[in-house]
Amino acid sequence: MFRISLIKIIFPFSLLACCSAWAQDGRKRILDSSGNPIAHAVIQVDGLKPFQVSLTGELEAELPSGKSVIVFAMGFDSHRFTWQEWGRLEEIILKEKTGALQEVVVAATRTDRTVEDLPLPVTVLTSEQVQETGGLRLSEVLREQTGLQISSDHGAGLQMQGLDSDYILILLDGEPLIGRTAGTFDLDRIAVSNIERIEILRGPSSAIYGSEAMAGVVNIITKANKETKKVDLGLRHRSFNTWNPYAELGFNSEKWRVSGMYDYLRSEGFDLTPETVGQTQNPFAAQTAQLKVTRAFSPKWELSLFSRGYLETSSGQMQSGVSETLLGMENFRRDFNLNPTLRFKPSEKWLFTLRGMSSQFSTESDTRFMADGTSFDFQEFRQFYHRTEQQTDFQLDSKNLFTLGVGHLLETVEATRYDEVNRFDAGYFFVQHQWDPSPKINIVTGLRGDLHSQFGGRLSPKVAGQFKFSDKFSWQASLGAGFKAPDFRQMLLNFNNAASGYYVFGANLAEEGIARLQQEGLVARVLIEPETLGNLQAESSWALNTGFRWNPSAKALLVVNAYRNQIENLIETAPIAQLVTGQNAFSYFNVRSVITQGVEADLSMTLSNTLRVSVGYAFLDTRDTQVLDRIDAGELFKRNAQNITSRVTRSDYGGLFNRSRHSGNVKINYSEPITGIDWSLRGIYRGKFGFADLNGNLILDDPSEYASGWLSVNLTATKTFSNGLFFEAGATNLLNTLTPAQPNNPGRVLFLGTRIPFANLIN
Amino acid sequence: MKTTVYSVLFFLLSFTLLSCGNDDTPEPVIPLEATLIQDLAAPNDVIDRTTGQVTQARPFIFFSLETQSIVTEAQDWDIAFKGTTIRVNSAKNVTAALANGIFEELKEVPASAQFATDTPTTFAIPTGSGAGWYNYNSATFTVTPIPGRILLFKTSKGNYVKMEIMSYYKGNPPVAQINPMTTPSAHYTFRYILQPNGSQKF
Repeated sequence: MFRISLIKIIFPFSLLACCSAWAQDGRKRILDSSGNPIAHAVIQVDGLKPFQVSLTGELEAELPSGKSVIVFAMGFDSHRFTWQEWGRLEEIILKEKTGALQEVVVAATRTDRTVEDLPLPVTVLTSEQVQETGGLRLSEVLREQTGLQISSDHGAGLQMQGLDSDYILILLDGEPLIGRTAGTFDLDRIAVSNIERIEILRGPSSAIYGSEAMAGVVNIITKANKETKKVDLGLRHRSFNTWNPYAELGFNSEKWRVSGMYDYLRSEGFDLTPETVGQTQNPFAAQTAQLKVTRAFSPKWELSLFSRGYLETSSGQMQSGVSETLLGMENFRRDFNLNPTLRFKPSEKWLFTLRGMSSQFSTESDTRFMADGTSFDFQEFRQFYHRTEQQTDFQLDSKNLFTLGVGHLLETVEATRYDEVNRFDAGYFFVQHQWDPSPKINIVTGLRGDLHSQFGGRLSPKVAGQFKFSDKFSWQASLGAGFKAPDFRQMLLNFNNAASGYYVFGANLAEEGIARLQQEGLVARVLIEPETLGNLQAESSWALNTGFRWNPSAKALLVVNAYRNQIENLIETAPIAQLVTGQNAFSYFNVRSVITQGVEADLSMTLSNTLRVSVGYAFLDTRDTQVLDRIDAGELFKRNAQNITSRVTRSDYGGLFNRSRHSGNVKINYSEPITGIDWSLRGIYRGKFGFADLNGNLILDDPSEYASGWLSVNLTATKTFSNGLFFEAGATNLLNTLTPAQPNNPGRVLFLGTRIPFANLIN
Repeated sequence: MKTTVYSVLFFLLSFTLLSCGNDDTPEPVIPLEATLIQDLAAPNDVIDRTTGQVTQARPFIFFSLETQSIVTEAQDWDIAFKGTTIRVNSAKNVTAALANGIFEELKEVPASAQFATDTPTTFAIPTGSGAGWYNYNSATFTVTPIPGRILLFKTSKGNYVKMEIMSYYKGNPPVAQINPMTTPSAHYTFRYILQPNGSQKF
């Protein structure tokens, strides 16, 4: 009797409990920031089985009760609620995880524009994508992208659309980075710990940026601190005794925004040829420090100051050729940037920006005999660059945006191989019109004029247009001119290789250099009339880029771009006089013309709410037109191992060295729901490429002159806890494929890292 | 009387036979064989790397294409080697020209060939990479003969020679096996054909 009563008492309570649970579950809806339902959102209570929402974004199933609820959806930032918070909400809005097309790009037009509205081939890498490569330096991040290669020639240089690092402009927060060695900008100098986003713009962009933006532009945008207080400390460890502690600091108040970063990297380097003296990569230590301060004086005025410093030391050993004496080398590299920017926005329609940029780059190389410490060689290089620019943006109406910029730059160089301190001045202006005549069409036209103290004037036009056939399909095409000014070496070098007896003169010094050698009685015969020397033109190009963006379904995106670059006046050395010793004196001339063309395609698919796959492929064809002319005229021969000579045919010719005809990648991203670990597995394929001429004719024309293609399998696992604590682990080149022809590949590299947001933990 | 008649008949017969022989049987043409010279050592001067001064001078190695042997400067030499430089004997009016083509297929001296001899300021075979007989590959630091480059000479005796240089390194190794640091250089291996009848055909 008593028992039956107990059951009667317990039963209503349980009903009540059920009812309260039911009441908490209402009809909740998961929406994005525009109020649209997220059909693929998933809701999970604690570690239990997740529930999918309906097409209208509504949760129709009954959730089991628990302590916390997490809502996640591919392409959005996931959100975690306590059970109580969950009960109170009816609509849950998830912030879009900066999807492929909604990303805002600044570098393409120097104004904010989303990728899908740009009639230009742009790729944006988010900080998650940067993180999943496990890279510590920019070179390691970019090598996984479709159509980009990293070559190792005087540093880790980028190759885009078949063009070398000399022709790609690298920007940091919109300002150019200087300091190139033999034309290569070493991407190993850029730490990635505080990168927010990387914009990769392909195609000549000299219409805005002038010289060096012939193949395209890479803009690295650093994190702008959004939190009131931020103290993040991180540490990464990698193979070859590589340690990378870093710190990110931030402070925000109503008027001030401050963010700072410090990154220290040290490594023992690696050696692909242990039997020879000297390592392939020498041990080094590098420090990067960055400070960005922004002060809003009023809603209309904002002043920001960006400063960055980079210090690197490395040491190594080498053997001096025939005599085999041991030499020790100490190398230093220093980089300082100071960029103030003043923005004035008096009304909705007008924006004025005044930018200053000052940079100093210096290197020092001290080589000594190890036996007694006497100096063997000492090289010094110091470059200073200062630029002031004023940009005006005028939004006439919703369809027209005009931009006008004007600037002046000053550059000085002093070095061991150059006489005195050399100074260049240049002035420039650029105009741009962004026109959206209808929702389906947008057109961007631009023109830049440069006037340089050393090589004269240059006009670079560009026009680009996009037509949106539908919401899912848009086609774009752009035609532009690019140029690259002759650099210091090509204009001012004064170099004599005493051992071999040859001389190299920059174009500006050639006439004087030959006269001096003639006075010393060293000239046997002058090959080129001295009066014609010194007229070095800029290298120039015309390029056509065209392609489309297509969403075959809501979960797939295909982006294709085809291009052709026609480059003229490429500068190379050629002899100007024969010396009595039998050696030559050289100078620089505009001699070559090159064509690069190809197609790049990227397909990304969201297969499920936890699985994302992307496939990329790039086809590249390069050729030197003068080599082709000589082949057609029957003037080029090749010799095989049996010393039989034959004529080179067009089908033998493989184009430029160090370019792969085919390359591609497959990337798989899986968010494991139970452990919360994000997995990223990537296969990066580089097709076979020519590495050296072996049959004596200095061109790529024989199967033996190719290095085989190779696949790098990379795996990264990351986990971010709700308090912000972050862990990562992974490996690159899991298969440990070695590539002697590509010496920047050390084999398998394992890494481990963590980031602790102290400010969050303390709160 | 009979002996005399028989002798005359005999002589008459032998004359006709001999003349018949001369008209009917063509002279045999012997194809010219290439002479292969291997590992002719002609090291360059030793130069101090930092000062550019010659610390040890070396002599030119003189070669006669006619006798196929190394000779002294006083003897009848045609060409001389030192390092990558090739001289011709201007005193004996030896001239040289460059031609492009396949060695076996070059059957006569091309009409466009411009023969010149060395002057006090110039070399008939120009020096410098790409200008004369070799290319210097700055990526691999090796000196390789330009494929398809044929050197033509007119010797001191007025005979024409076509020459192809096979290798600049000792042992004529395949290019892929040349180690610029260790493989001994300035060892010429070359082949040439000399036309002894003075014509321009090979």
